[in-house]
Amino acid sequence: MRARGKQPIIPRISAALFAGFYGVCGIPGANGYAFNQIVPDVRQPASVSGGSACPVAAHEIAAPGAIAEQWSTVLGTNPVTILTQNQTATGRLNEIEQAITQSMAVWTGVSGTTLVPGTFAPIARTATQNACGADGVNSICFDQADAAFTPGILAFTRVITADIIGVQVGTGAPATQVGQILDADIYFDPSSSTITFATPAALATAPTAYDFESLLIHELGHTLGFSHSAVLSAMMYPFAPAPGTFTGTRPTVQQPDAPLGNDDIAGLRVLYPNPSDTVNVGSLSGHIVPANPLSLPASPPGVTGIFGAHVVALDAASGAVIGATLGGWSCSAPGPAQFDGTYLINHLPVGHSYQIYAEPLDNTVYPSLVSPAITSLCRNPTTDAGWPPLQACVVPQVNTSFTTRTRPGT
Amino acid sequence: MSYAQRRRFLWILFLGGLVLLAVAASATTMSRLKLNDLAQESTAVARLRCLGSTSLWEQGEIWTETKFEVEQREKGPLPEIVTVRLIGGSVGHLHSRVDEVPAFRTGEEVYLFLWARNGEPYQVLGWSQGTFRIARDPRSALEVVTQDSASAPIFDPQTRTFRRGGIRNLPVAIFRERLHKALRLQNQ
Repeated sequence: MRARGKQPIIPRISAALFAGFYGVCGIPGANGYAFNQIVPDVRQPASVSGGSACPVAAHEIAAPGAIAEQWSTVLGTNPVTILTQNQTATGRLNEIEQAITQSMAVWTGVSGTTLVPGTFAPIARTATQNACGADGVNSICFDQADAAFTPGILAFTRVITADIIGVQVGTGAPATQVGQILDADIYFDPSSSTITFATPAALATAPTAYDFESLLIHELGHTLGFSHSAVLSAMMYPFAPAPGTFTGTRPTVQQPDAPLGNDDIAGLRVLYPNPSDTVNVGSLSGHIVPANPLSLPASPPGVTGIFGAHVVALDAASGAVIGATLGGWSCSAPGPAQFDGTYLINHLPVGHSYQIYAEPLDNTVYPSLVSPAITSLCRNPTTDAGWPPLQACVVPQVNTSFTTRTRPGT
Repeated sequence: MSYAQRRRFLWILFLGGLVLLAVAASATTMSRLKLNDLAQESTAVARLRCLGSTSLWEQGEIWTETKFEVEQREKGPLPEIVTVRLIGGSVGHLHSRVDEVPAFRTGEEVYLFLWARNGEPYQVLGWSQGTFRIARDPRSALEVVTQDSASAPIFDPQTRTFRRGGIRNLPVAIFRERLHKALRLQNQ
């Protein structure tokens, strides 16, 4: 894909790119989906850092029973944080726990990944008031008035990752992989008198409540390493449905992953690939480069392609979004990240034709505006004292003001 | 397309964005705050310049404290230097992250809608929603602001187009005009 660089006098928004880009090639590899990325600390020995400054996607260990989760049964009562259909004390807890278990099953119900129903250990209960905290235990809390809440915040997930192996959080086990998630806690706001959440069973009679299951599935996506997606139909899209409604389709026994969008599914296959999968092994890749290289930013040095464009792959037959990524960089050991305009959408079903759309960026956009996923692609002596210069980089400004043309790729 | 046509096109897109903002209901981690809500709920509003950040452990979490020089006060009393505390950050080999929590670079200028409980440090109201970054066009020197929560491009599979919501690339003068109007509404 070739983009035509142009520096208009005023900010310019061009029409969306439509590329007749067909064909799938089987080139599996790392890429830049909207994941929580972390650059290993290469100041440490390679035995603990891996020796490469290439960003690593934050992830859980996908082994049987490896992801433990507990939830605090301490529930807000004034206001009521979670509405349930069953009003008995035991019934309420069971109904909430059923929604939690079902939400976890959504992420383990996707084919072609190493997340399987047994990956999550059976959910545990705790009666601790403030169960959420950096203690090495993944927790879900409904009545913890965390100091991070401000008006307007419904719920959030705080994820802690390690940039070398061997470190630990609280009583948790030491990291055995770089980028391993050591603690991921989900907080639901208990303090607002105007915010309530409702279980699926209770939602129909609580039209002003937010769907607890939709929010929890989204937050669990963060605990698995996802950042936000910019695809409207994705579960990881940052905006939830209106109160009284829910995202996508409710999960069923036959289709536990029904609420997920194809973008979520493709991302999960990238994050937790199943090596024995023979179906979702296709990739779409290319470069977004300016026709006029002089239009590239002079600083930082080494930028050879358009950075920060949003690239989306659609199934040509159904029109469904199959995958999306923020393009513009690549990395091969020993790093650092190269801002060469590369995009790669990986783990796509083979035997399909795809259409590619690329976002036309406009005006000045700081990397931090585009996605948290790309703000942490680089470390350098300024951000980290003693960082080796040969493995250092600076995230450039997202490229601006380009109109797009395409040519067939491979 | 002529200069006038392009400018008109930009305004149409901007107004379209406002319509989208009105349609969007709420966020998974956030409930939607309009400019009037931000003006009303905030403790203080100011144009600030980032002086630097430090991350630290406190009360069992990693927090990042960012110091700002106050350039222009729009609402509420603020000292010359204000410290904003937000969840997340990096300490040692541990990296704590919460999506939508803004991070700031030394030297960058922003409008922030600040919020604090009594006796507690300032936070950014609504996180990405209360963060408006200032950019300057290198040719015209025109300053524009973009709301963090409005910057992500959204792909709509139905229309196969990218779209945006919230405040984006709005000239600072117009942004201040709208802000002052929202603040006046609050005082009525």
